[in-house]
Amino acid sequence: MSDPSRRTLPRAQIARRRLTAAAGWSLAAAAFGILALAMIHILGLTFVRGLAALGPRILTRNTEGTGGGLHNAIVGTFALSLGALLLVAPLGVTVGIYLSEFGHGRFAALVRFLSDVLVGVPSIVLGYFGYITLVLKFGWRFSLAAGAVTLAILMLPYVVRTTEQALRRVPVALREAAYALGGNDRQVVLRILLRAAAPGVLTGLLLALTLATGETAPLLYTAGWSNYVWSGRLIHQPVAYLTYVIWSFIGEPFRSAHRLAYAAAFLIVIFILLINGVTRFALARFFGESR
Amino acid sequence: MNHRRSFLLVSLVLLLAPSLAPSPALATRRPAVLSETGSTLLYPLFNLWAARYTRLDHDVRITTEATGSGTGIAQALAGLVSLGASDAYLSNFLAQKNPGLLNIPLAISSQTINYHLPHLDGRSLRLSGPVLAAIYDGQIRRWDAPAIAALNPGVPLPNHRIVVVHRSDGSGDTFIFTQYLSFTTPGWEQSVGYGTTVNWPAVAGEIGATGNPGMVQALDTTPYAIAYVGVSYARAIRREHLGTARLENRDGRFVSLTPATVEAAARARRAKTPASERLSLVDAPGANAYPIVNYEYVMVRVHQPSARIAQALRRFLTWCLNPRGGSARTFLDAVGFVGLPKSVRQLSRRQIARIR
Amino acid sequence: MRRLTATAAATVPLILAVITGFLVFYAARAIRFNGLAFFTTNGWSIGNQYANPIHVHGILAMPGMHFGIVFLLVGTLASAFLALLFAFALGIGATLFLTEIVPTRLTRPLSTFVELLAAIPSVVYGLWGIVFLAPFLARHVYPLVARLGEAVPFLARPIGAGYGLLTSALILTLMIVPFITAILRDALLAVGPELREAAISLGATRFEVATRVLLRGQGRTLIGAGILALGRALGETMAVLMVSGNALNTLPERIYSPISTMAAFIAAQLDSALGDQTGLAVRSLAEIALVLLAISILTNILSRLLLRTSPPLRV
Repeated sequence: MSDPSRRTLPRAQIARRRLTAAAGWSLAAAAFGILALAMIHILGLTFVRGLAALGPRILTRNTEGTGGGLHNAIVGTFALSLGALLLVAPLGVTVGIYLSEFGHGRFAALVRFLSDVLVGVPSIVLGYFGYITLVLKFGWRFSLAAGAVTLAILMLPYVVRTTEQALRRVPVALREAAYALGGNDRQVVLRILLRAAAPGVLTGLLLALTLATGETAPLLYTAGWSNYVWSGRLIHQPVAYLTYVIWSFIGEPFRSAHRLAYAAAFLIVIFILLINGVTRFALARFFGESR
Repeated sequence: MNHRRSFLLVSLVLLLAPSLAPSPALATRRPAVLSETGSTLLYPLFNLWAARYTRLDHDVRITTEATGSGTGIAQALAGLVSLGASDAYLSNFLAQKNPGLLNIPLAISSQTINYHLPHLDGRSLRLSGPVLAAIYDGQIRRWDAPAIAALNPGVPLPNHRIVVVHRSDGSGDTFIFTQYLSFTTPGWEQSVGYGTTVNWPAVAGEIGATGNPGMVQALDTTPYAIAYVGVSYARAIRREHLGTARLENRDGRFVSLTPATVEAAARARRAKTPASERLSLVDAPGANAYPIVNYEYVMVRVHQPSARIAQALRRFLTWCLNPRGGSARTFLDAVGFVGLPKSVRQLSRRQIARIR
Repeated sequence: MRRLTATAAATVPLILAVITGFLVFYAARAIRFNGLAFFTTNGWSIGNQYANPIHVHGILAMPGMHFGIVFLLVGTLASAFLALLFAFALGIGATLFLTEIVPTRLTRPLSTFVELLAAIPSVVYGLWGIVFLAPFLARHVYPLVARLGEAVPFLARPIGAGYGLLTSALILTLMIVPFITAILRDALLAVGPELREAAISLGATRFEVATRVLLRGQGRTLIGAGILALGRALGETMAVLMVSGNALNTLPERIYSPISTMAAFIAAQLDSALGDQTGLAVRSLAEIALVLLAISILTNILSRLLLRTSPPLRV
């Protein structure tokens, strides 16, 4: 910036600064434009091709080779991610309660830090770990259990941190009132705080669910793949899932395979967008602001 | 609060809906489930087989997966799948260590050498093992090199650098291609050897591609490229107007890939095929024999977890080999494979009968 | 209650310890076999699997077996840093535009829209890359870049099929840019109006306010967000696997060359590694996984030191 004490600036300098500003803002707008355009294009491609591929047969039939439908994969994706959610929800929420209500010391700081580290561990590393331990060493083979446990590890830090954040937003006054009425830790946490923070905790769980449904790398070598609907066996039976179809079928030289990949991408994206949209909206109502 | 609750309800219904849908398979008694994983080259054929066979035999269900031959072998060994598909046979070392693992040929595959040369007007180049080895280790760098010109008199070879394309993932196609180079070129055998992945000599401008679709695509988009492609992709090669080479065989003849030349190679080796059926068909003798040919294997453990699974495996595999069943032209032509010679089919049946 | 929840909390360190411990234990033989050459030499080969195994330093191996990951380190670092560079440019530009130009009412919805980029699954990015981005770039964009950069060897032809370093970096950019926009937007919105007003009353243009006043204070935030984004880019698997060209043992000669990254390599090579009868290949992949784990710990420590707060979970 120029010397502010000078009253008037040379015309040329003003023009140059205006020009710089105009150019700078154009670049900034272009940066936003590129990102927005990419987002629109990804969604557009997924929607247009996915909707064109989608039909009642795709939803009701099982995969036959590289054709047929996605019924087995839709069921498998839900079984895997809901299974993972069932595993992770009690544990993750409990850890979240600890961090929010009792976590002031060094141990809590360590748990917080390590859960951030766990967020950053590449998902293929978790998948590799699951394959060697659960699939091979435990002998579960490709199965729902192996896939769901691997996904649960991936989801754990998300559930922990969203629960902690949700609980922290509950006013201190509510805690004080509850304790003043003679409640013990257990009663206060379970009956008062969790109930008050329920929308936030649930949002965290749902977001973790979308995360699980979109994952591929941790499942490639834990869930396997099956042309049939998961029959309820926890181990020794491979499970189909939608992201596998996207990854594997887009490389096949058959049009039927590509159609399935587009349809699978559409289903995954629409599910994730739906949950994201609804939770953001719900969160905004709950906390009075976004995120 | 209200909308939140209804949202939860809706999402719960959404989540549970697919699993509540009636599953026709659960209605009757549980069929035996055979799981297959492995070779991406065999994958399309297994899909056709599985779809047809499960319609004929309602007591069997077959699930297929394209992972790669390495996974096929490893998971069949570990008992993770019932059928491990592989383009390559077990090594001596593995076979001795695992006498309980059968490798059973089910069909015969082959491979073409393709190139993207504009202005060649669909003329087929003649190439030999040593020339290909020299191209792939960087000794021959240009299309109009004397060694290539000597094989192709009168062909207007472009004065342009050769772009070498090879597979970067583990692949049965790499296995048989490098076997062809190894069997025909001692220098290659000593410096590189053969395998599903090899340590490719560094060649300037080389391209690594994933899977046969990746190979076809690399060829298509890169003028002056050369690549090896599994026969199942012959249609894609024709569609993209890429060239296909005639290859020099053991007898010094240049042959193009047809069902007849592949069968000639298989016939030439049928008498040498041992009971374990671990044998390379690459560089087989015979005037009409195509040089890059291989058995497509399925790895099966002799001892199965239950008699029912073992019986289902025997039934299914026997059907696969039947020229009126899975080895009918309609199935094999779809992927460009040919059926086993009768005597080899007999050997495979004998191995299948051992499954317990 | 406290004891119960604390016990549950112990699972987080426990899980990480088990994963680390397992990887170290499992990779131990490979670590001994590979030594330092793992990081200093180039060339991944499972050797001649059809020969008889030999003993190297008492470890069963196949002749010709060698695991050197220089090409993976180069591919991983090059794609991630390139992506970070693009993400900074796009992220800072877009955030300034959204916080300083766009009407306040629209700031949140529009940034949320851009930040949904982080919610798109990696495999969908890969699909988009294969179906649209890679062919589009190879046909319409890279020829221009190559012409612009004729003098720069790294930008010159041949441009290939669109699968390679630059395409991977561009896809990674989209995946990590929300980290930068989300953190920076919150930081900028936290700056009170006084600073802006003061600068404007001194005669600065709005652009000068944005770049010289507002951004100047955000160095630490930006670096923290950048390291976090870098950590994610270094570990990304599926999208890179689908558009990187999966180079094996080759170093990128130009910006269009196929590359491979450590995470994508684990997914791509597990198949042929499983075919290795000595098990050294699979264990060497565990060694790569260990390197990735170390990177994610390191990037988290650094970003935490700089940001002094937890990274955003979902941006």
